[in-house]
Amino acid sequence: MKKNSLLKGLVGAVFLFGATISAHAADTLAAVKAAGTLKVGTETAFAPFDFIDAGEHVGLNVDLFNEIGKELGVKIEWVTLPWDGVFPALEAGKFDVVAGPATITKKRMERYRFTPPLAEATIAILKKAGDKTINKPEDIAGKKIGVGKATAQLDQLKEFSETLPTKVDIREYPAFTESYADLAAGRIAGVANSLPNIAFVAKQREGTFEVVLPPFGKKSYFGFIGLKDADHAPLMDAIDAAMLKIKADGRMATLQKKWFGASFDTPDSVKDPAF
Amino acid sequence: MSIKLFELLLQASIYTVTISVVSILIGFAIAILLSGMLLSGRSLFVRPAQIFISFFRGVPLLVQLLLIYNLLPVIGINVPSVVAAIIGLSLCTAAYQAENLRGGFASVPLGLVESAEMVGLTPRQVFRRIKVPIALRLTFPALVNEAILILKASSLVSVVGIVELTRMAQDLAGSTFLPLQIFASAGLIYLMINWLVALAGGMIENRLPGVPR
Repeated sequence: MKKNSLLKGLVGAVFLFGATISAHAADTLAAVKAAGTLKVGTETAFAPFDFIDAGEHVGLNVDLFNEIGKELGVKIEWVTLPWDGVFPALEAGKFDVVAGPATITKKRMERYRFTPPLAEATIAILKKAGDKTINKPEDIAGKKIGVGKATAQLDQLKEFSETLPTKVDIREYPAFTESYADLAAGRIAGVANSLPNIAFVAKQREGTFEVVLPPFGKKSYFGFIGLKDADHAPLMDAIDAAMLKIKADGRMATLQKKWFGASFDTPDSVKDPAF
Repeated sequence: MSIKLFELLLQASIYTVTISVVSILIGFAIAILLSGMLLSGRSLFVRPAQIFISFFRGVPLLVQLLLIYNLLPVIGINVPSVVAAIIGLSLCTAAYQAENLRGGFASVPLGLVESAEMVGLTPRQVFRRIKVPIALRLTFPALVNEAILILKASSLVSVVGIVELTRMAQDLAGSTFLPLQIFASAGLIYLMINWLVALAGGMIENRLPGVPR
């Protein structure tokens, strides 16, 4: 009994202390500029946005954040975490913004603030090359399909699964790279991910993977994620402005071409996402 | 699998070794303090040490790491990934090592202590010349064991953002689609490291003052 009340007191004290500290947090843009580094959280398993190429962290995010860093006059410092750990760590202040990127969804918009979109996120299926049993998205009914845990693609796949005569046997993975490995090994019949991602994977491993067209479900977009509170507003405003400038002068299209093989139109902001 | 990939795994294993070694040493220092508290016999010291040990032995290391990484900032201490990893591993191993040390001291044969007192050694001398060497000798194999366990458990620190051996292997397996070769190599590297630890442990153990049989 005594131990219990001691524990309660301790937990209470921790939270009380925490509340007083966070009340003193300063303007994050000023803090980032003073430190000279923008800390960006991400996972390194979301090619072509973020991945390890023979040990080096590369991708659209890396190039794009380098440009954002130039605009803001700061260096970029990367913190890599498993995807389901990224959002708790963002809220704990481990970094200033999340690269991800994440699909812009209604649920996430309630809690987080998104930057202007940098790519389309509409979902499609990746299958093993030569698999004759999957020719259109509907063919995945009853099949084992891999998808990332805690991703918007999971929600999109679930919604699509409901429309099929037999439900999809959904397998959730901590990271998409593991699902691709399982697809290559024949443990699952396909992977559901956003078209830019799987198009890149299929291009990298021609002969191993193939994309099942068309993409299905409603159109959605990828954005970077930050916190919604007043402290982070100046920083997020600055990142938004930098991204729109990079988009306007054509640097964004160049980067999209480099990493997706094609550039595509994205709106300047997403107010009312489909999911 | 190319030499380049193996080199990357070796580089990542430097994190594995560094974080583990630092944590084991810090953990040992904390464990000495904790076992001292446990052996003091005063509830003022014994109780806190017991609570510490039951917490860090009772909560999975993965949860501890996530708590340290995500909860410390709530109280205004925002530590970098490496520090969070070392704090987590150190506190966890300290709890286990403290129990090992306490067990070691408790196993010092009473007859030996009494004989030492008989021949006129002061309590301080008894502690330094009889109890410590014997307890250390009795505890040492368990400490080597613990070091090996921590080296393997260090694969968990990727959840706080450190690309150590296991995480690097996962990243490389994901980008090269050669999971078998890469995980086999990672396994081999762990095996080599732990074999070296066991070897060093055995050599040190042979040099420790012996226990009368």
